[in-house]
Amino acid sequence: MSALISENKLRQLAAEWIGSGRRTIAPVAIKSRLLYMPLQSAEALSLDTGARPANTIKEFFFPKAETLYGYRVKGRSIELIEPANPEEQIILAARPCDAAALPVLDHIFNWDFKDDFYNRRRASTTVITLACTEADEHCFCTSVGGAPDSERGSDAMLLALGDGRYEVRCITAKGQQLFAGATEASTETGKAIAVPLRNFEPEKVRAFAVEHFEDPFWAEHTQTCVGCGACAFTCPTCHCFDIVDAGPMAGGVRVRTWDTCQSAIFTQHASGHNPRSSQPGRQRQRILHKFAIYPEKFGEVLCTGCGNCARNCPAGLGVLSVIREI
Amino acid sequence: MANIYKPDLMEVIAVRQQTSDVKSVALRFLDPDRAREFSFTVGQFGIFSVFGYGESTFNICSSSNWKDRIEFCFRKVGRVTDAMWQVEVGEVIGFRGPYGNGYPVDLWKGHDLVFLGGGIAMPPIRCAVWHALENRAAYGEITIVYGARTVDDLVYVDELEEWSKRERVRVITCVDPGGEKPGWTGEIGFVPTVFGRTELALHDPIALVIGPPIMIKNTMPVLEKMGVSAGSIYTSLENRMKCGVGKCGRCNVGSHYVCKEGPVLTMDTLRNLPLDY
Repeated sequence: MSALISENKLRQLAAEWIGSGRRTIAPVAIKSRLLYMPLQSAEALSLDTGARPANTIKEFFFPKAETLYGYRVKGRSIELIEPANPEEQIILAARPCDAAALPVLDHIFNWDFKDDFYNRRRASTTVITLACTEADEHCFCTSVGGAPDSERGSDAMLLALGDGRYEVRCITAKGQQLFAGATEASTETGKAIAVPLRNFEPEKVRAFAVEHFEDPFWAEHTQTCVGCGACAFTCPTCHCFDIVDAGPMAGGVRVRTWDTCQSAIFTQHASGHNPRSSQPGRQRQRILHKFAIYPEKFGEVLCTGCGNCARNCPAGLGVLSVIREI
Repeated sequence: MANIYKPDLMEVIAVRQQTSDVKSVALRFLDPDRAREFSFTVGQFGIFSVFGYGESTFNICSSSNWKDRIEFCFRKVGRVTDAMWQVEVGEVIGFRGPYGNGYPVDLWKGHDLVFLGGGIAMPPIRCAVWHALENRAAYGEITIVYGARTVDDLVYVDELEEWSKRERVRVITCVDPGGEKPGWTGEIGFVPTVFGRTELALHDPIALVIGPPIMIKNTMPVLEKMGVSAGSIYTSLENRMKCGVGKCGRCNVGSHYVCKEGPVLTMDTLRNLPLDY
């Protein structure tokens, strides 16, 4: 038996969630592209799976700028102020490659030191994915252990029947709670696209990158990179950050902001020495981090095959284009 | 919520100008409970901050035996250190830590110790020297070779003088050719060359080498010639860091996170890592 929900009923549910004050985040069509953003109304929800959003859901767990604490300076005394608790939120119609990044990110935010900024957002969020019915030339989830209907990181998954109805698969209790009483039992099932072809073996990428650390390959194949970091900022798994103070000396906030290994000053020492002084070295770091360093540390690649690095690259690069050359 | 990024508030209890652009600062915890429970291993580092300006990473250069204070030393090179330069006794700054692995001081017991440092590398050597001097019976001969570009760039000069008067301690200071001035009684030359000239007879020594990459590179052959194996030569990496807790993604050398699995490592380990430091 399966459980089905109509598009109308789904929008009704979304309207209820929004109405009850829960932040409900979903893809919204803005001009020609999709972006994950908090819904103002259920009508704004896009259930179009023909394209994937240009951003990812990581910003709702690891915001672009997050206050770590506030400080107030009074003469020679300083008061530190804890930030507010995150609100409950529901992410609706996330792509499986976005949801799959969450268990991958859990490792880095929890080995030894526990990052509760991330953890409490994980706890207060329910993720409902929408299985993909189309893939584009940049998609490669099946190369890195994913699938268009991978349930990894999802609390519930929607699979389109193609007629305005969706199969609802509740994966966790949190997911079940949201859809309780809203579905109808059926024998019909929704489906995702046939699995796209595997493009590469992550292990081969790892072996090449490690063995060719100093190789003209990196300069030859990444020389068009402009170092903008779009690959990292639109990647569901890239998690590098900076910590900066914002606001006047008398009272302000210490903020964690997204950063990228593609920036020239990312690793520059105070002395001026820079271990990664050239763009090819920084591109190599990105490949190494995803396919060698992270797997060695945490047993899985730091990539879900979403292809956003390529879709958003002004120079036509991205993980896949470099890997194809490998 | 446990906020791993929230610093301890520290009162500045002493500031000392070491050179024209280097200062050392002593701090005490404002929270007496934290002061009591706090402990660290020499070689660990902290993240120090001036509110309104930001955070910077420095070695905790005091001895772990000094329970009433922690010290750090910095060179004025940017926004945060410019602000730190203005900080006066009685003011409050932030501190997170201790982070990193520290020196394996127990493993070093029974060995002669050789400390080789260049320029601003003295602070991370200083904490280890004090630790050894305060546990004097546990360690053999202590040799310190410390160099800077010019006489005026040497830091902790008074302590170097004090150490040289201790038993079984040899202190050699040197400045780069051209960096001497009238009355200079130390050596002239680079640390590896000056150290090579000493022709010391050392018994199974442990060496701690900290300084610019070129100094470390040129010191290796000298140590090897003396029969010191790469597994007995330690360094402390100075990769740029932001979080200190293995998350922000910038200090790694290959799969080695300097903030957690370093900053202290042997040349044996370092040789097996990619050239990314």
